[in-house]
Amino acid sequence: MSSILLSFALTFMAFTLVPCIYRLIKGPTLSDRVVALDAMAMVIVVILGVYSYVRDSVFFMDVALVLAIIAFVGTIAIAKYIDKGVVF
Amino acid sequence: MSLQFVIDILSDLILLIGLFFVFLGMVGLIRMPDVYNRLHTTTKIGTLGAFGVMISLFVRVGFEPIGIKALTLGLFLMLTAPIAAHMIGRAAFHHGSSYGIDNAVIDDYKEACERLK
Repeated sequence: MSSILLSFALTFMAFTLVPCIYRLIKGPTLSDRVVALDAMAMVIVVILGVYSYVRDSVFFMDVALVLAIIAFVGTIAIAKYIDKGVVF
Repeated sequence: MSLQFVIDILSDLILLIGLFFVFLGMVGLIRMPDVYNRLHTTTKIGTLGAFGVMISLFVRVGFEPIGIKALTLGLFLMLTAPIAAHMIGRAAFHHGSSYGIDNAVIDDYKEACERLK
């Protein structure tokens, strides 16, 4: 039963990437697109975490950790760019 | 009714709660009318959704490398998602292209900004 639930979780996460791409293309302002990118990065991190358990390999979890850190730094940089016009 | 059975059921329940919050965040990302409302719903993906899934993996695996890294990842996402949402919301407010703030009932932050000038 657990393997069925994990397969369902992976499939569900893959389908939840579609609303992010919809908002990324259609979003009226730049802030909407940044929000969609942030949500997309979080969903990909969760997919990598579940896939690490399914494949029983630690390396996917390392990739997820690095992706989470880079997504956070990128979001902060884009937010500062929208706010002041310069990143630093 | 062994211990492993109880751990599996608990882990499945927490995983379903996490998936439910991810689903709610995606529905909000499509349906909400305003950038602030969308920000409000998508932060739930980072805090409750991702943290729930990572806690589920930690409960299932235990104190092994995958479990410890899942716990670290969940705590990191739970700490950084509200900070990123705060920064985006502040930038959207100062940028001035926010069409939802015009018909807001109360806007304390604008008054505070004008008082500071």
